[in-house]
Amino acid sequence: MFFHIVLERNMQLHPRYFGRNLRDNLVSKLMKDVEGTCSGRHGFVVAVTGIENIGKGIIRDGTGFVTFPVKYQCVVFRPFKGEILEAVVTMVNKMGFFAEAGPVQIFVSNHLIPDDMEFQTGDMPNYTTSDGSVKIQKDSEVRLKIIGTRVDATEIFCIGTIKDDFLGVINDPATV
Amino acid sequence: MSRRGMDRDDEDDEEYEEQVEDFDEEEAEEEEERGGGGGGGKKRRRPSFIDDDAEEVDEDEEEDEEDYDDDDYDGGGKGSSRKRQYRKVSASNFFDEEAAVDSDEEEEEEEVEDGFIVGPDVQDEDDNRGRPRHRQPPHQEDHEDLEEMARRIQERYGKQRLAEYDEETTDVEQQALLPSVRDPKLWMVKCAIGRERETAVCLMQKYIDKGSELQIRSAIALDHLKNYIYVEADKEAHVREACKGLRNIFGQKITLVPIREMTDVLSVESKAIDLARDTWVRMKIGTYKGDLAKVVDVDNVRQRVRVKLIPRIDLQALANKLEGREVVKKKAFVPPPRFMNVEEARELHIRVEHRRDATGGERFDTIGGMMFKDGFLYKSVSIKSLYSQNIKPTFDELEKFRKPGETGDVASLSTLFANRKKGHFMKGDAVIVIKGDLKNLKGWVEKVDEDNVHIRPEMKDLPKTLAVNEKELCKYFEPGNHVKVVSGAQEGATGMVVKVEQHVLILISDTTKEHIRAFADDVVESSEVTTGVTKIGDYELRDLVLLDNSSFGVIIRVESEAFQVLKGVTDRPEVVLVKLREIKCKLEKKINVQDKFRNTVSSKDVVRILEGPCKGNQGSVEHIYRGVLFVFDRHHLEHAGFMCVKAQSCVVVGGSRSNSDRNGDVHSRFPGLRTPPRIPQSPHRFSRGGPPSAGGRHNRGGRGHDGLTGATVKVRQGSYKGYRGRVIEVKGSFVRVELESQMKVVTVDRNHISDNVAVTPQRETSSRYGMGSETPMHPSRTPLHPYMTPMRDAGATPIHDGMRTPMRDRAWNPYAPMSPPRDNWEDGNPGSWGASPQYQPGSPPSRPYEAPTPGAGWASTPGGNYSEAGTPRDSSAYANAPSPYLPSTPGQPMTPNSASYLPGTPGGQPMTPGTGGLDIMSPVLGGDNEGPWFMPDILVNVHRAGEESVGVIKEVLPDGSYRVALGSNGNGETISALSNEVEAVVPRKSDKIKIMGGGTLRGSTGKLIGVDGTDGIVKVDDTLDVKILDLVILAKLAQP
Repeated sequence: MFFHIVLERNMQLHPRYFGRNLRDNLVSKLMKDVEGTCSGRHGFVVAVTGIENIGKGIIRDGTGFVTFPVKYQCVVFRPFKGEILEAVVTMVNKMGFFAEAGPVQIFVSNHLIPDDMEFQTGDMPNYTTSDGSVKIQKDSEVRLKIIGTRVDATEIFCIGTIKDDFLGVINDPATV
Repeated sequence: MSRRGMDRDDEDDEEYEEQVEDFDEEEAEEEEERGGGGGGGKKRRRPSFIDDDAEEVDEDEEEDEEDYDDDDYDGGGKGSSRKRQYRKVSASNFFDEEAAVDSDEEEEEEEVEDGFIVGPDVQDEDDNRGRPRHRQPPHQEDHEDLEEMARRIQERYGKQRLAEYDEETTDVEQQALLPSVRDPKLWMVKCAIGRERETAVCLMQKYIDKGSELQIRSAIALDHLKNYIYVEADKEAHVREACKGLRNIFGQKITLVPIREMTDVLSVESKAIDLARDTWVRMKIGTYKGDLAKVVDVDNVRQRVRVKLIPRIDLQALANKLEGREVVKKKAFVPPPRFMNVEEARELHIRVEHRRDATGGERFDTIGGMMFKDGFLYKSVSIKSLYSQNIKPTFDELEKFRKPGETGDVASLSTLFANRKKGHFMKGDAVIVIKGDLKNLKGWVEKVDEDNVHIRPEMKDLPKTLAVNEKELCKYFEPGNHVKVVSGAQEGATGMVVKVEQHVLILISDTTKEHIRAFADDVVESSEVTTGVTKIGDYELRDLVLLDNSSFGVIIRVESEAFQVLKGVTDRPEVVLVKLREIKCKLEKKINVQDKFRNTVSSKDVVRILEGPCKGNQGSVEHIYRGVLFVFDRHHLEHAGFMCVKAQSCVVVGGSRSNSDRNGDVHSRFPGLRTPPRIPQSPHRFSRGGPPSAGGRHNRGGRGHDGLTGATVKVRQGSYKGYRGRVIEVKGSFVRVELESQMKVVTVDRNHISDNVAVTPQRETSSRYGMGSETPMHPSRTPLHPYMTPMRDAGATPIHDGMRTPMRDRAWNPYAPMSPPRDNWEDGNPGSWGASPQYQPGSPPSRPYEAPTPGAGWASTPGGNYSEAGTPRDSSAYANAPSPYLPSTPGQPMTPNSASYLPGTPGGQPMTPGTGGLDIMSPVLGGDNEGPWFMPDILVNVHRAGEESVGVIKEVLPDGSYRVALGSNGNGETISALSNEVEAVVPRKSDKIKIMGGGTLRGSTGKLIGVDGTDGIVKVDDTLDVKILDLVILAKLAQP
């Protein structure tokens, strides 16, 4: 799920950026630092949308760096248990398949793939129904439900299922 | 024993009268001193003895006998008192005789028993055999006796019971039930091992026979206590009397059970386990020791169960045995478990009967008394020969038992939990009820009592907490839970639950992304992320180890007792399971090897795999051994992310700084300027046949010097500086080098040589260039080219296209057949001098060709190099190639490659071995290597995404890239370009230039007043000096 929230961060700025463009520098550095990161609490920071407030800077002794407390608005993406997501399959193997929804990697175990779909090895490993009408392979788009998440410092890993109503392949590049 | 019996008889005769006299008195007294215990026996009795002397004598006589007695005696006094009682009790002749007879019999039986003691199974049978003899009579006796007894029991206990059980029992009353000093005491009596029950039954029989004469209250035999029975009686004397004459009781040994412990004696039944059908058990003894078995039938009376096992039968041996042939008993050999194949047995002419079991009505195949069904062996064993507590079958074992099409072994799985360890539920655990009315009710553990677990049910309308028997509960997990395995084979692993199959969970391991099966019981919820066990002994996950058979591999998984090792085989991934002892040692050497393009590869470098099954993958090098790399890629799911590849089929990507430093590449300070692979430079060297593995001088550390021997090196310091030669031998820190120019062998310090070793022929294939250009690193060599290119090509191709590798490829190949000699004369490995400043002084050999002024005294070293051409070592290439550079052929500028050499070549350089040139040159060159190459304000060509544009460098960013303003005036858009995407525009005559290298001159501007080969004649703005500088370090200044 996406959220638009306000976060705060202490930015350290090198003295060479002091000057007329200090604010701009600060913002661009903030974007560089923050966008794409992941925190367990908020998920992935997708984009900084605005700056709420920049506090007074404190000069660090010794280095000359200045620390600014910056409050900024940003869009974050955090997967939740039970959430339905659409994702692109990135890899298929006999244990299941991996899919990505933006920065989030989701694994769908073969136990969580409908029983009528079977793994087919080969050049393009895939899961196919017995009649061959549905096929999950690399680059397929699937709709899945997240049943578990594990949050590391730098990534969020999810376990998903397509063994439920209205879940499964929504767009197959092979058939298009 | 028998001797004692005899003695006793004699003594009895002697003392009989005395004892009869004593009897009453003694008993009376004992009653008074009740509770005093056996220890006071002598004191108590003393006054009752009329004749102390007689007693004394008696004791002397009995000394022998005392030696026989067990150590239990506290002292002689007590012992004798006991014997006295015994004798007194044994007054009856009838009993005596019986006892004597019995004891003989017993001796025999004891011997038999000793022989069987090992096998409770047999012993038990013995029991069964013995039991009916003693049990049957009471049943056959008339009922009057029984009624009489019932009445007596009623009399004895009836009142109490009425009084006590009328009301509801409270805790206090329960307390009151505990034995006190006034209650009868419990005595522990030693008896024959395995005869505990029998003895107790005998006592009962005796009581029935003799009625109230026997003053004991009860006799107890406990299953778990061997060698003893308990007798409840008020006095020790009563016990002795009762035990007198029982063949299984060694009457000497009677111990009082302290009051406090009395309750414990009878409260042990909780330990007794009830074996139910489908319970998993393990065999304690015999061929099947340790094997898993499944209970199919329980006979509680006979204490026997029928179990289902996977047979361990050697059919051949069985056949031999059945046919009466001699069977050689191999003791150590236990046949492996295998399902019985009746057909196979028939083939061996073993008679297989198919019959219906008498009791169960099932049909079995019977072979030599063993029953088989569906390949399983059905065996009847004693309960005692089974372990039933805390059995944890592995999945493999269960899998086998599931064999003949049984669907879902759920029932037996649930019985797994019947005998599990205590204290297994914790407050807060999610649980589900698996048995009874509340089946499938979920809840959370609130409190754990002894056996009962109080759970808070999930359903709202139910009471707040419910007490459920522990055995009816199972831990409950839902898919998506993050859990940790706390016991069993997978102990320590963490993962997310993807599926719950009854009591079995399927997890996705966090680290390996593989499925793990675990019992719900072995798992707890946890947010921790671990790999599980990562270490056994000295070996840890991801260690490189040498295996027993001198193969090697990296540990990719640590299992409970073994490691999974990915072997160092490159053609296909090979995983073996090895035990700790099969590992010889850990390999921790830091070795460097060279990749496909002769870049040094060391641990932690990132490489891309170009060939083999893992082609296309990229990862960091974890281990290097024998030219094999173990590459780790987090996204590679197989083999814990490890791939095993030949160093030769990889190419270093990016590379770490330390690595570049090792190469002596000063440019490494800019990540983008990593050591250039020197592909094109060295195609000619193959004729030398230097081993590919013989890496650069810096790569050798710690690896032994073998690689150096035979390599062609250049001396870079000392009196032989500049000479080249072949290494004959390595002696410690010195090497003996056979100089090519002088045909003699000299000894040089190891540190004073630099090797520019040959490349293997296969490197020459032109396809390799293509590959090289695909790799990201490839562009990074461009900045280096300025060093070399002009030296060779610039003259011919002033437009710097030649710098680009593919171009070079083209540029070079046509010359290749011709050029070897030249390349040899030049530094054989130009890359190395391009890369390492220290080579520079030695490298000017190349300069002579470029030198505009033949007489400039350049050719000091070349002198040597030329003569080198005559050395036989320099391969046939020399002979074949009509080298234009030989002094004898000065006038051949028309060789294809001569363009660059034109100005200088034919000149008399060889003849002028002056050293001046070197000195002049080296500072400039040395300087070249120190700074960033490009500088602001110079005009550059930007190659990006296939298009080429001109721009002006505005800023050099600290990471080695540049900010470039496009357009020849720098008024276009500003982009940032990597160092490998830009190259300086080569100035032409009378262009304004900027000097990009050259030490003190660096940064100065000037005007190019002339171009001579690869050198430019520059008039420096500031000083108005005229300098001759390498074109390479000159860049066209942007017009403001």
